[in-house]
Amino acid sequence: MGEVELSCRAYVKMYLHACLFPRCSINGLLLSSSPTGGAVCVTDCVPLLHSHLPLAPITQLALTQVDVWCSQTQQRIVGYYQANACVSDNSPTPCALKIADKIAEQFDNAVLLMLDGSKMSPDYRVPPIVMYERKDSRWILKDKHTIMLRQWEETRAIASQMMESGDHTLLVDFDSHLDDITKDWTNQKLNTKIEELASPANGNI
Amino acid sequence: MASVAEMYDVGWEEMRDKLRKWREDNCRNSEQIVDVGEELISEHASKLGDDIWIIYEQVMIAALDCSRDDLALTCLQELRKQFPDSHRVKRLTGMRLEALERYDEANKHYDAILQDDPTNTAARKRKISILKAQGKSTEAIRELNEYLEQFVGDQEAWHELSELYINEHDYGKAAFCLEELMMINPHNHLYCEQYAEVKYTQGGLENLELSRKYFAQALRLNNRNMRALFGLYMSASHIAASPKVSAKVKKDNMKYAAWAATQINRAYKLSWSICTQYSEILKSPLFA
Repeated sequence: MGEVELSCRAYVKMYLHACLFPRCSINGLLLSSSPTGGAVCVTDCVPLLHSHLPLAPITQLALTQVDVWCSQTQQRIVGYYQANACVSDNSPTPCALKIADKIAEQFDNAVLLMLDGSKMSPDYRVPPIVMYERKDSRWILKDKHTIMLRQWEETRAIASQMMESGDHTLLVDFDSHLDDITKDWTNQKLNTKIEELASPANGNI
Repeated sequence: MASVAEMYDVGWEEMRDKLRKWREDNCRNSEQIVDVGEELISEHASKLGDDIWIIYEQVMIAALDCSRDDLALTCLQELRKQFPDSHRVKRLTGMRLEALERYDEANKHYDAILQDDPTNTAARKRKISILKAQGKSTEAIRELNEYLEQFVGDQEAWHELSELYINEHDYGKAAFCLEELMMINPHNHLYCEQYAEVKYTQGGLENLELSRKYFAQALRLNNRNMRALFGLYMSASHIAASPKVSAKVKKDNMKYAAWAATQINRAYKLSWSICTQYSEILKSPLFA
């Protein structure tokens, strides 16, 4: 099927989300601000939950709110990510498949991304992700060669650096937003920090 | 690297009190506990008196949570020296083995405790945790059910069981566990709200009505529970939109949904005005 590109911002926020809640299963939505057609560019993500992933109300609420925000900001939901609490098991759970199915109803080339906890140690070299795509109503593993992360080394360095300096505590997911609605689940502050670290002035292109 | 005392400008007594608060609240902020506890132990051990033993235990468990086996072993060795025959310390030895994924050895320790003392709940619960860590959900659920037949009032266990059932998508049984919890603890708004979420997830008109009632109950117990407020809005809206309800039920639920929507809007307006106020305050010369 088609190519998928994962931006630095999307990857770093997913990674920080997993680091913020290492003992929980976490999930979130993958967004794109690029026009459709050609490769799917995942330009951003919205971290959703770190508790009770299979329960419906908050997931439905989050999907609605993110949908509204997307239509206001010329983005669209193009995928779903999840990291399981059990590090040795990175297979998609029934609730992951269900939510991904829902997204695929609205976007043909939707992707399902599982973070592989066992590959997230400090010395990992490969992106700790496993991607699935929809074919004949089933989710099948995507060919690794169709997944692109531009400047992977820089992205990895930024993710590690932000985690070391404790920036993952700045990340707000939808769950945290509901605990304190003054917190911003679009994570503008974190986005700015990531841009700064990724800018050419810092020696990265 | 700056010490905790330097960074936060606190003395050893405040560090000790902070650790006690985290113990009492059962917080799992393991990284913080390790930072504060390690410094307290290495620099102020002599001042802590008998408190030091419970602090060793607390820091040891936090250290395991952060993969700091060096620190965990140090604490464990001190505890073993002081309490050589203690079941409590034996359980900690087992926990360290669990952290190192040496589950068979850990189980041997717990079995030894249970042979000596069959009522030792801590050892039984650790055995169930091992099953969970190994991904053996069905066995964990079975063992936890057996445990709860004996120890009916153990809230922590009921809650753990409800989580296991939710992950297995067995919402009926999860609801049953939450019902037990609500009976034991009728003033806990979180149990009401979780019960409502499970009922909502189960779906169907009857469950939606129950879920609406319990979201409302959660709000009565804590009117700032946003999940309950949104849940009330969503469940009432769904009921009102159902073709199976009478005109009166439809009207009532539209009223509930409208009320919830007003409260939600009010809460967001208030919170963003607080944000703006706060940022305005920070701009004032006082903070320059």
